[in-house]
Amino acid sequence: MTIWSRLTHRWPPRRRRHEHEMREELESLGAMAGPRELGNLTQTMEDARTAWGWAWLDSAAADVRYSLRGLRSQPAFVSVAVLSLGLAIGANSAIFSFADALLLRPLPVRNPSTLFDVTNTTPDSPLEGMSFPDYRDVSGKSRSFDGLLAYRLTTLAAATDPSSTARVRFAALVSDNYFAVAGIAPSLGRAFVHGEANTPGHAVALISHEFWQQQYAGDPAVAGKTLRLNGILFTIIGVTPESFTGLDRFVHPSIFAALGMSQRLSSAPADPLEDRGLRELVVKGRLRAGSSQERAQAELDTLSAAFEREYAKTNHNHRLTIRTELQRRIQETPQLLALVKMLMGLVGLILIIACSNLGNLLLARGRARRREIAIRLSIGAGRVRLVRQLMTESLILALAGGAAGLAFAYGGILLLQTLSVPSDPPSVLAVRLDWRVVEFGLLAALASCVLFGLAPAWQTVRTDFVSALKAGGGRASGEKRTLGRDILVAGQIALAMVVLIAAGMFLSGFRKTLMSRPDFRTDHLISMDTAPALLHYSPEQTMTFYRRLVDRVRATAGVDAVAMTEALPLSPSQTFLSVVPEGYQFPKGREKAIVFGAAVDAGYFRTMQVEVQSGRAFTDDDRAGSHLVAIVNRQFANTYWPQQNPIGKRIRLERADGPAAEVVGVARTGHYLAVNETPASYVYLPYEQNPRPRMTLIVQSAGDPAQLAAPLREVVRSIDANVPIFNLRTVATLYDSRATDTWLQLFDMVGTMGLIGLALATAGLYGLVVYTVNRRVQEFGIRVALGASRGDVIWLVERRGLILSAAGIAAGGVLTAATAPMLSAGFPGLGASSPVVYVLVPLALLAVSAGASYLPARRAARLDPVRALRIE
Amino acid sequence: MDLLQGTLEMLVLRTLLGGSLHGYGIAKAIRSTSHEALQIEFGSLYPALKRLEAKGWVASGWEISEHNRRAKYYKLTPAGRKQLVREHSKWADFVGAVGMVMGAAPGAKG
Repeated sequence: MTIWSRLTHRWPPRRRRHEHEMREELESLGAMAGPRELGNLTQTMEDARTAWGWAWLDSAAADVRYSLRGLRSQPAFVSVAVLSLGLAIGANSAIFSFADALLLRPLPVRNPSTLFDVTNTTPDSPLEGMSFPDYRDVSGKSRSFDGLLAYRLTTLAAATDPSSTARVRFAALVSDNYFAVAGIAPSLGRAFVHGEANTPGHAVALISHEFWQQQYAGDPAVAGKTLRLNGILFTIIGVTPESFTGLDRFVHPSIFAALGMSQRLSSAPADPLEDRGLRELVVKGRLRAGSSQERAQAELDTLSAAFEREYAKTNHNHRLTIRTELQRRIQETPQLLALVKMLMGLVGLILIIACSNLGNLLLARGRARRREIAIRLSIGAGRVRLVRQLMTESLILALAGGAAGLAFAYGGILLLQTLSVPSDPPSVLAVRLDWRVVEFGLLAALASCVLFGLAPAWQTVRTDFVSALKAGGGRASGEKRTLGRDILVAGQIALAMVVLIAAGMFLSGFRKTLMSRPDFRTDHLISMDTAPALLHYSPEQTMTFYRRLVDRVRATAGVDAVAMTEALPLSPSQTFLSVVPEGYQFPKGREKAIVFGAAVDAGYFRTMQVEVQSGRAFTDDDRAGSHLVAIVNRQFANTYWPQQNPIGKRIRLERADGPAAEVVGVARTGHYLAVNETPASYVYLPYEQNPRPRMTLIVQSAGDPAQLAAPLREVVRSIDANVPIFNLRTVATLYDSRATDTWLQLFDMVGTMGLIGLALATAGLYGLVVYTVNRRVQEFGIRVALGASRGDVIWLVERRGLILSAAGIAAGGVLTAATAPMLSAGFPGLGASSPVVYVLVPLALLAVSAGASYLPARRAARLDPVRALRIE
Repeated sequence: MDLLQGTLEMLVLRTLLGGSLHGYGIAKAIRSTSHEALQIEFGSLYPALKRLEAKGWVASGWEISEHNRRAKYYKLTPAGRKQLVREHSKWADFVGAVGMVMGAAPGAKG
């Protein structure tokens, strides 16, 4: 009530009425009382006014008015300040939104901070996932959680009606309480009820908002309709809200189907939900109020120990681990953390450079206003009050800079939105300008205002006003007065150097990988994924399907060769194998190696031009029933059998007593998941001995491979029209999107940052040189009058700029020595930077500094000495 | 006699318990009730009244005074009455406590 009445008092008509009433009241009282009985009524009224409004609010409003008036008369100062801050805050906000999408954004659930990830860790793997029996037991026995949900991401072939061909979609197979624990209510229909999703036999699913809009045009009567998933008829029971995109960063499921349908959807011979050794589930738990992550971990430790005793065969060495969402994400994608840290570090430096620009401008402006300030001080203005007034000015600048920054950020975010996540099917990176970004931008603006407005403001009002009033503009005091600003500018150049060198290291380091030629053939190749298993083919039927497919494609016109693999190199869906290399002594606690690996057919090495360096490639004689064989890459051989001949060694598949395959060849080490990865081990197995439900066909064309797309579809249709086809693309397309595109975009980003840093530092240096030239106009006039040549004057000014720049470069060198190792550590494959960067960046900085000083220098040299001496 | 901080507002509330009064009337009432011991400065009283009004403890309205002039009269609101009860008991506690410490007046020689 009181706050409200005080606020409404700011409203002018109300204020006028208050004033009017008060005067009338006091007048009538004055008539009743004696002449001087009521005392000083003017003072009384002033005191009474404070009861209505806030004095500080009045004076703050006055400050704002006064600052705006002052700023309006300085358009150049304002635009430079707002532009530098805007660029820096824009870069920061854009990168923050990028980091948010990559790593930081909380899950779109109710109260995300109390939802924790629960998974298994083993000495071999930090993220093992959970099996359904383990999940069931933890849910039943744990006291630390209000509820635990489980789900598994998968792709399903979805058809909205029987006549249409199925399309592959992302789906989550979820537990009963998935939506309840997440705190998500369907926007239409209902969620799963108890017992509906955890047990087999209930073919029910919810669909995502996006899928609902796309496939059903937002039909409000969609609940109750049917949807064919992998050929099984499901009933749609609800639609998830638009804001809910699932519990993963990059994969947004279109369908949320009952977990209990896992066996039927995958046509597995046994129920995967009853296999304690099959750890495919992601489990998240809502921590009970009053519990803590540490206490929950202690309880999970007890449970893990009990499971280990009871189920030694499956749970040996498995430890249940609770993580926050962020901890899980960092564990999953440590390279993203390094990227985010680097980008945030760079834009942070840019913000500091921009802020020192602002501080520098404010100092210069304060110097120019010494007279005004001195007059105000001498007629009794308080210093604190003046500081407040000056701070109001920087606050207005900061907010304007923040607003400009958000506009820049919006532009940057539009560019970042074009980045796509390499997944099959592709999904987009959800970079967006949301409230988190706006808050971040405004906070950055406020912090910069406080950091870089306070010191100049304080220095300005510390003016000795007697001398300020006497001397014309304070010219007398000479060069040491700009020491603070010199340091700021040299600091800016130092930071710009760090940013440029980091950018340079990044660019030159990855240029090598980018420019390196692919280590497999990419031309004249087209690939196609098919998944007959989605149609409940038995393993035998699948094998027949693939044999027939290869035969028919080979007979197609324009096809030179055909091969098959489980996973194309550099495709986002790599497959892994658990192997035990015979003769290798594992470190204590570990008992097998999980390495990249794929089943390939006999034509693979020749078609993909993957060199077999010793031994032999697979042949058609490596069939089911014949002697089990394998091919390893050089890295695998070097890791597990150093200085030994790998040919003839044996690898146990799955576990130490699994089937043994003899190594018959060693292939060249390539890149399997990313072009910048450190060399990884790889194992090839012959497809005929290791049949897989889902293979990628690689077709070598005589002409343009893209021309084969239609004939390939036709061949699949001629075998079975219902088999879903996906990722039909040329291998060159895949290589570009995986090896070049994302990197080029990162290059653009880092390069832009380097340029922004350089531009801001240059602007700072330029401003300072202009300022000193203006202050030394008289001195230059005298010098010219005494016979100094233009060249002498130019050199005088240039020298100053170059000294500052050299000091900055020296400081930058020290800073770089500290930061460069951090950068190399964060990015494996970056390596040590090429010396070119260390030479080029300082040279570029010197050249730019010379250029920035040249303009004011030339102006100084052209001064007419007579006029220069007259200026006062 | 000087007043303790906040006491003035309490006195005003107590004075208005007897009925509505205008600003000058309140000053006079406090003076006479205290047998001229409390000389209230109008310059302090008036802002205090405005504060009480802003807090909603007193309400004001224009009335015709005994001298047939229009004047603003202040009266206690129910919230003001509650506040007075609170202030009164606090005051009584305070006086009692100080009284216990001070005891009887000591002689001049001690």
